[in-house]
Amino acid sequence: MCGITAIFAYRGDAVRPEELEAITARMIPRGPDAGGTWISPDGRVGLGSRRLAIIDLSAEGTQPMWDTRRELVIVFNGEIYNYAELRASLERGGVRFHSHTDTEVLLELYRRDGERMLGLLRGMYAFAIWDTRARRMFVARDPYGIKPLYFADDGRTIRMASEVKALLAGGGVSGALDPAGAAGFFLTGSVPEPFTIRREVRAMEAGTAFFVDAERGRGNVQRHFSIARVFRDATGDALVDPAVFVRERVDESVRHHLVSDVPVGVFLSAGIDSSALTQIASTHASKHAPLHTFTLSFPEFSEAPLAERFARETGTVQTTRNVTREEFLADLPRIFERMDQPTIDGVNTWFISKAVHEQGVKVALSGVGGDELFGGYPSFMNIPKMVRFARLPFASRAASLLSRHPKARLTGRYGRSYAGAYFLQRGLFLPDELPEILGEDVSREGLERLSPLAHITTALAPDPGTRFGRVAALEAALYMRNQLLRDADWASMAHSVEVRTPLVDAWLLRQLAPLLPNVRGKEVLGAALPDYLRTRPKTGFFVPMKEWLDLPPDGTTTRMRSWARRVWETFA
Amino acid sequence: MNVLFLVTDAYGGHGGIALFNRELCGALDHRITVIPRVIRGAVRDVPPNVTFIAEAAKGPISYMRAVAAARRAKPDLVICGHINLLPVAFGNPLLVVHGIEAWKRRRAPLEKCRGIVSVSALTRDRLAGWSGYAGPTYVLPNAVHFEDYGIREKRLDLVERYKLDGKRVLLTVGRLDSAERSKGFDEVMEVLRELPEDVVYLIAGGGNDGTRLQARARELGVGARVVFTGLFPDEEKRDLYNLADAYVMPSRGEGFGFVFLEAMACGVPVIGSKLDGGREALLDGKLGLLVDPTNPAEIRAAIVETLARGERRVPEGLDYFSFGKFVERSRAILSSAGMDRTRS
Repeated sequence: MCGITAIFAYRGDAVRPEELEAITARMIPRGPDAGGTWISPDGRVGLGSRRLAIIDLSAEGTQPMWDTRRELVIVFNGEIYNYAELRASLERGGVRFHSHTDTEVLLELYRRDGERMLGLLRGMYAFAIWDTRARRMFVARDPYGIKPLYFADDGRTIRMASEVKALLAGGGVSGALDPAGAAGFFLTGSVPEPFTIRREVRAMEAGTAFFVDAERGRGNVQRHFSIARVFRDATGDALVDPAVFVRERVDESVRHHLVSDVPVGVFLSAGIDSSALTQIASTHASKHAPLHTFTLSFPEFSEAPLAERFARETGTVQTTRNVTREEFLADLPRIFERMDQPTIDGVNTWFISKAVHEQGVKVALSGVGGDELFGGYPSFMNIPKMVRFARLPFASRAASLLSRHPKARLTGRYGRSYAGAYFLQRGLFLPDELPEILGEDVSREGLERLSPLAHITTALAPDPGTRFGRVAALEAALYMRNQLLRDADWASMAHSVEVRTPLVDAWLLRQLAPLLPNVRGKEVLGAALPDYLRTRPKTGFFVPMKEWLDLPPDGTTTRMRSWARRVWETFA
Repeated sequence: MNVLFLVTDAYGGHGGIALFNRELCGALDHRITVIPRVIRGAVRDVPPNVTFIAEAAKGPISYMRAVAAARRAKPDLVICGHINLLPVAFGNPLLVVHGIEAWKRRRAPLEKCRGIVSVSALTRDRLAGWSGYAGPTYVLPNAVHFEDYGIREKRLDLVERYKLDGKRVLLTVGRLDSAERSKGFDEVMEVLRELPEDVVYLIAGGGNDGTRLQARARELGVGARVVFTGLFPDEEKRDLYNLADAYVMPSRGEGFGFVFLEAMACGVPVIGSKLDGGREALLDGKLGLLVDPTNPAEIRAAIVETLARGERRVPEGLDYFSFGKFVERSRAILSSAGMDRTRS
């Protein structure tokens, strides 16, 4: 778990050491334990890393890391949960290792399998491998996009880093605004991949990889994973009682996500997902003892009593962290400073990660992804319903008559497709509201470049085949990827805490996909929880922002539209 | 101790459950009365301690009549060899569960069981998962008789019959069942495309899914590299295993996977599944490679690794599944379950 930098001047001038250093240094909070940079003898390739040591805490784990033959060198951000198994396989093939890290396993796996290696990795990752033999760089990002990677490629030099702000800190990339990123932020509350808030910077898309070499520059993007495709290809009857199977598979995923040489905690919010994870993790706690749990509490609102009771019954070491308005206001400048791109969320993760760090814990499991996997959002009902309704004759007029909500009048226009209905359901601002915020020109160019509906539709290719699969693919590839996972990354890394997500796991998704449309996953997941957790209404992972900032009314109960404008001021 | 054993089939039966039942009878030194539901073939080799009530297999009425007669004889212990037979098992039977029949919620009077014997911990856990059964449980994995297998030369007539000369052979043995599709045939054919041309896939077994599988193989462009034996005589089994360079079964429905033991006893390296009982037949990966059947990349990598090693040997740890160990385990289970007469 780290921050990484890779610069390859495949046609351009040599890498400037000060740029490499500056980009890497900006990411020190992501990796306070160690750091290093390396520039190739010909000056064309520069790699940098800041390390948060989780597996093999010795100096052998330092990056950039070479293989034993000194032919391949890597910078890697993330965790490979099945690295021990992969290492054993490589060792049976005669490979010898100099460290006990997952990083070195990646190097040897690349040597053995090339880009095919990606199908074997269970984990979260973004990495770049410089292959001195072929003089090319292999760059890859994990299936769901849990770990970030951004790049700026001017056709001569490609620069990559774990943060947009880090790339800019090097001085080689312009900070000019991307209207598409700006429009995307106001439409959805986060900047949608592959756009970023900066015109010259692109997000490497989740589940993809590419090579860079002098001849072709940045080669074709290879997609190694697609959520939509997993749902499309899901076949086979449930041979096992679905409830039993879900539980068994989630249990196995949690077990994988506990692989660590340091203590592991859980974000416990008294919701189904985090409570179930806590329950499962605690059954494996003998090896990882003691299990820590963390809960936020606010004077305005608190789930702590329930969480504390559950923690007591489960036998975890519970920390309830009180957060006040004063602390929030005091932290706000730093929150904006570490917020990599504009987003309306992430403050909750900021404080819970702060609490984890204060207790000296480096790794925490999060229940994020449970709603996307098990259909926990209202959108799983609402979107198919809206599509059915909007396809009726006169639906458009009926919607305007029945509701005064501004989105209602757009039902006829957008609601006929899953992509359009999703756009309405998740929309923060509507397209015709953008000129007032961003100005006519930026707004027009942004909408043109972003092309919101076409952008959303890419998450549905190929067609997942079921109503459930479509909504699940949309939620996971858009909202979860661009908002939840990205916020979890910057807000936790700001406190040098690694968030792990057992419910966001390609292997788990493939195993469960055939039965997900027909199983009440949340009930199954929560079946073994006590009644006082199982039967309470769903609440979000919530921060009383409205009260703390005295945000002006904006037509929403959470005042997220006002908050979005406030966030925007710090980026524009 | 007099034991009554209610079975679906045993002597004169085919398949894994019949075999398990015969093995259990052979392992115990008690006087055992076996009441079979069906008999498909010739009844042979019934051990002297076993009374085999062949008439019971004539039909449901004969079966019930045999059970009633057995009840009057007041056996010390009733073993129920299949969850389907539980309603007719009287007293507090010891239930044996094998695999998918116990993986899904169903009506079964489990509460009357004095204990449950499962061929794998996985089947035990899946049963407990939906039923909440909290009584005593015992794991009794299948056994293999090493003397029936062993590493042999490839039989040339078989090599010729299946056109395997100069090929490296992947093998799966199992029924081609269109309803279940759980053996992993499709999954192996899918990755065959990405393996060298000299690698062929031998599918050994009869069933009603052959036509679909053949069409699927052609669709994937590997029609010429997938060979179907159809139903084969039992005498050829050992030689079939000996044709293989790797036994591959990325399955989802095996309660245990006895075929893995047979393959290993012939010195064939095995690749099994992480998602079913195969994991236990491979002792959690100690005896062979485990793959997630939903991940083609992992199946491919395991095949490549196994073929690259190109090694034939009977793994040392296979002794865990010797018949001697099976005898010890089953006797221990019976003495423990048989003593507990107080459960009601």
